Amino acid sequence: MAAPRNRNPERPRDSPITLELCIDMSSFLPQFPPSTNPLLLFGLLLFAGFAGGELVRRLFKVPSILGYVLVGLLLGKGGLDVLNGHLVKDAWIFVDVALGLILFELGRRLDLTWLKRDPWLAATGVLESALSFGLVYGALVYFDVKPVFAAVAAAIGVATSPAVVMVVAQELRAEGQVTERALNLVAINSVIAFVTATMLLAWIHHEYQADWRTILLHPIYLLAGSFVLGYAASKIAVATGRLLGKNEQGHFVAALALIVITVGAARMLELSVLIALLVFGVLSRSLDRDHVLMPFDMGRVGQMFVVVLFVVSGASFKPEDLAATGTLALAFILARFAGKSIGVLALTYFSGVRRGSAGLLCLALTPMSGLAVVMVHDAGHLYPEFGAKLAAIVLSAALVLEVLGPLAVQFALKRADEAAKDSQ
Amino acid sequence: MSESAMDFKPSASASVGVELELQILNSRDFNLARDAADLIALIDKNGHPGAVKPEITESMVELNTSIHGGHETLLKELQELRDTVSKAADRLNLRIAGGGSHPFHDWSDRRIFPTERFKQLLELYGYLAKQFTVFGQHVHLGCPNGDEAIYVAHMLGRYVPHFIALSASSPYQQGQDTSYQSSRLNTVSAFPLSGQIPFVHSWSEFLEYFEKMRGYGIVESMKDFYWDIRPKPEYGTVEIRVFDTPLTVERAAALATYAQTLVRYVMAERPFTPSREVYVLYNYNRFQACRYGLNGKIVDAYSKKHLTLRDDFLETVARISLHAVEPGAGAVLHKLAEDAGSGRSDAEWLRQAHRDRGSLNDVARMQSDLWMGRVPVPA
Repeated sequence: MAAPRNRNPERPRDSPITLELCIDMSSFLPQFPPSTNPLLLFGLLLFAGFAGGELVRRLFKVPSILGYVLVGLLLGKGGLDVLNGHLVKDAWIFVDVALGLILFELGRRLDLTWLKRDPWLAATGVLESALSFGLVYGALVYFDVKPVFAAVAAAIGVATSPAVVMVVAQELRAEGQVTERALNLVAINSVIAFVTATMLLAWIHHEYQADWRTILLHPIYLLAGSFVLGYAASKIAVATGRLLGKNEQGHFVAALALIVITVGAARMLELSVLIALLVFGVLSRSLDRDHVLMPFDMGRVGQMFVVVLFVVSGASFKPEDLAATGTLALAFILARFAGKSIGVLALTYFSGVRRGSAGLLCLALTPMSGLAVVMVHDAGHLYPEFGAKLAAIVLSAALVLEVLGPLAVQFALKRADEAAKDSQ
Repeated sequence: MSESAMDFKPSASASVGVELELQILNSRDFNLARDAADLIALIDKNGHPGAVKPEITESMVELNTSIHGGHETLLKELQELRDTVSKAADRLNLRIAGGGSHPFHDWSDRRIFPTERFKQLLELYGYLAKQFTVFGQHVHLGCPNGDEAIYVAHMLGRYVPHFIALSASSPYQQGQDTSYQSSRLNTVSAFPLSGQIPFVHSWSEFLEYFEKMRGYGIVESMKDFYWDIRPKPEYGTVEIRVFDTPLTVERAAALATYAQTLVRYVMAERPFTPSREVYVLYNYNRFQACRYGLNGKIVDAYSKKHLTLRDDFLETVARISLHAVEPGAGAVLHKLAEDAGSGRSDAEWLRQAHRDRGSLNDVARMQSDLWMGRVPVPA
């Protein structure tokens, strides 16, 4: 409601009422400078990110994601430095929701029955993860990075950004073997990356002389706790679906609510949001034997959070890190790409897809982004010094791949002729 | 097109071959997928009987059997083809389904399979080309010469409502119950060259008609006619094209055997002479079959009697069963008659699935489970 104003022309201007109003104004007008709130921040990031996305899409015909990231870079530490400190903290809640939505949907894409029917796909996922871990670790150690940092950085590098692959695929309305296989490989390497990074926590604790109970129990708590949380959420989802009957709207709202609850519960219990939500997605499909749940498409709601996710992740990058760690970042990127490509090229042939699909799959697995930021964020939470050192290595590489990744995925899906023709 | 392509190549009387257009679904929400090229490449790599071909959009695949004398070998080859295609689909995480229409796909999402001919069809027919993502079974029946093919084509015209009602499996289109048993044929009717063969009496008369149409520049080959029944000179067959693709290969084989037995009957007994009355009543009877299936009421062109399609079919089976001479054919006709009597049909199965599950995604999934042999074929 607007504040009441004196609009009566008959009342003299210097009447006591006007004076009273002036005095009272301080009690209801905001202080100067006004303090922001998370909602305003969300809206502004959404608006700015969306504008940036539209701009690059129209001008350069590249995925909108690039625009979101560039807006983030512009607003963040590396640019105007307005999106920093407590603002990033405020925005983090939206990043969590965005990742929750994306990982849930990714989990639902992971089709365990397919992996049984085409074991070569599963083998490809495991091999490319193992090779990219090994090569990145080797390369970093070669460049004199401390092994514990090298290992955690390598584990983070195993994951392909689900957000980039899913959002670019959705933007192109892509469908087909390369798209589906890429998403399933992303799901596999995400699981492997999360689990490896969690287990490496033991090493980090050891490095920082934590007692043996922490070394042993913290990773177990994280893995088991997050799994149980995801499992519980999927059970509740299926039960709710059964109660609702085949009601698309109802299923969507219920899933959305459960996703947000699970994200919040994971934060509350100091568990891994990433693992819990991925498990939730995977199990809500594979435990649903009677096909109770209707297909889930995060659609426009998801789109909103995705924009903010990429703006915030863009803002977390510092281009000067890139200058400082240039060689290391390059080594990281090349080793990661080599590991993923060797794995994919070696085994994809046996899956019986068309010639050329393997090469395109390698490109589609390039992106690395939001998750790296989150994983570094989570690690930094524990030992700030460790987080800072890790950030310098991983985030420079992520910055480069954040820009190249969407382009690579777009190229791969278009080249595979899997994009709907009239999109873009 | 050379002259020889319109020469009628003789083939064994009442030999039979089947083409099945099938739906390629994804395993996520069971909507139509676009993986025809990958699927066909993988099937070709693994080897298979018959032939596997692309159709007009990337969501379709067509299976062709070789030529058969009787039911048992036809069924065996269809089952082998089904197993081969299902296995390849499994590896690509796709599903294959029968049925004349996909229950809920949106035609505007379809993409034309990239060959010259299909691109030309899109250019010519516009959105009809994408809406043509409907799935039919074509049955080829061998004829010794062109004159016989023309005779058989006119005779089969009388039985088109049977073929429609027995195969009807497209009650849903674009997410809605159409109230038809077979809505697929409404899609076909939109094409300017759909309809029936002209009332000619010999192959030479037919050739005259064809040359005239070619002279006008309306057609280039027999492929351009989308008739319900058309002669196919290069195969030496008459091709029935009104069947919806049934939900199982077993039913597809049974329907082919019914058509084959009918052809044996008309070739042996020559019960009627071709009559224009068949074509006067044709569209009315055809509509009744599409709309109501075997409950439709038709007018018989020869006896002028009004009767239900079910009665007409049951009478016909009784009349022609003498000609079900190949092993297994008699039992197949008996089963068809039994199903007709008890009101069991593919369209009814689909509607029942929807009533049970309340979701068309589930209907499409169950349709593919059935076709791929993941659940037993209903007895």
